[in-house]
Amino acid sequence: MKAFANMHPAVSMLYFLSVLLVCMFIPHPVLQAEALLGGALFCAALQKRGAALRDLGFYLPLFLMVAVVNPLFSHNGVTPLFFLNENPVTLEALLYGVSLAVMVIGVLLWCKAYNEIMTSDKFLYLFGKLIPKLSLVLSMALRFIPTYLRQSRRVSRAQKAMGLYAGKSITDRVKNRMRVLAAMISWSLENAMETSASMKARGYGKKGRTNFSLFRFRASDGVLLAICICLLAVPLIGAAVGITDFMYYPRVGVIQTTPAAIAVYAAFGTLSVLPFILEVKEAIVWNYSVSKI
Amino acid sequence: MKKDILAVFGIILILAVLINGTHIQSVDEYYLTHIDDITPESETVTLSIRCDTVLQHYEDLDPALRSEEFVPPDGVILPPTEYVLREGDTVFDILDRAVRYNKIQMEFQGAAKSPFGSVYMQGIHYLYEFSCGPLSGWMYRVDGEFPHYGCSRYELHDGQNIEWIYTCDLGQDIGAPWMGGQGK
Repeated sequence: MKAFANMHPAVSMLYFLSVLLVCMFIPHPVLQAEALLGGALFCAALQKRGAALRDLGFYLPLFLMVAVVNPLFSHNGVTPLFFLNENPVTLEALLYGVSLAVMVIGVLLWCKAYNEIMTSDKFLYLFGKLIPKLSLVLSMALRFIPTYLRQSRRVSRAQKAMGLYAGKSITDRVKNRMRVLAAMISWSLENAMETSASMKARGYGKKGRTNFSLFRFRASDGVLLAICICLLAVPLIGAAVGITDFMYYPRVGVIQTTPAAIAVYAAFGTLSVLPFILEVKEAIVWNYSVSKI
Repeated sequence: MKKDILAVFGIILILAVLINGTHIQSVDEYYLTHIDDITPESETVTLSIRCDTVLQHYEDLDPALRSEEFVPPDGVILPPTEYVLREGDTVFDILDRAVRYNKIQMEFQGAAKSPFGSVYMQGIHYLYEFSCGPLSGWMYRVDGEFPHYGCSRYELHDGQNIEWIYTCDLGQDIGAPWMGGQGK
């Protein structure tokens, strides 16, 4: 079920970078919504169903928080809804907050998918020879949070097994978290040192050292690469000529519906759902092959 | 469970403090439909709000604001108007009353948040600090002089003339002498 993961790392790297680039630097509501949709579909395809639902419990409150916080601090806009401590809370600020929340969650989802697909060995395969030190630091930084969560769950279970803070009370659980956090800080520092020492001991960055996993650039990789570059070029050109300019203050702008603008939306929409389509296609082919046995 | 009850109590306390500190008004409550009538014996001051400098630096202006709706073609947001001066009124009080009466948008940072112990005017009529170049923002002038302190600390007297002026060059273009301008 990981069609995208079998692609050449250079292709997947370029793909993730292009989606994140557009999602973060072209603040247009349609493109952001497409990035969010694509990221959500891709993450749902990569994960088990239960895990995806559990994630919703994290992203939904985050979405609401980001969306509501902006109008509390930004009072620009022509449509006041009500006045809070003499300053207006406006519809425009609320909409801008929603757009920020969509962007933040879209980026988070794409980073999550990145972590699933671009494992450390792929990253080091791409950049290990070029920039050995930086790529090691980067790959450690990128896998820091998943590793951290895994280890903190382990520590927490160990603490419970020892009978510490095993009660059901919320205060106890919060205290337990704090204790685990303290343990995790020293662990993560130590772990970073150990990882780099271990990599050094294995001759990382020395001449003639081969990679852990090898990848071949196949024809299908070339095709996907070409599609990605073409689809990325359209929104970039659109941003350069000002099609994707969008204002929230003081009055919310109009979403353009000229043929050129629709081409930009369609191109980025295709780009962001591309991995999901690949995954679905792979699943269909797999089920079909299984049914024939 | 005892600890939980304590924690819940603490959270409720924090929420109560937060709710007590917020003051919510509807749009109709905020905008004034009536303002003190000027009678022969009432003390008055004159207030005007202008942004002529923006017209000279139109190329620096935020593209979203480039319309006659946000920057009037003559640069006058509020023509000189007389307002009744109440006992102990500061420049900020007069401005606050005037914008509420005229339904002009305004955003400010409260005196408690400002390091100068005075209200800081962030934006009037959608024109904000930095909306027209990195040195732009709102300044005020009373009887032709730029005071050295914030608008909520300047107490007014009868007959004074207050001007809120938008600067695009840290006060130099509107003649604030202590910012290197030529004065009036």
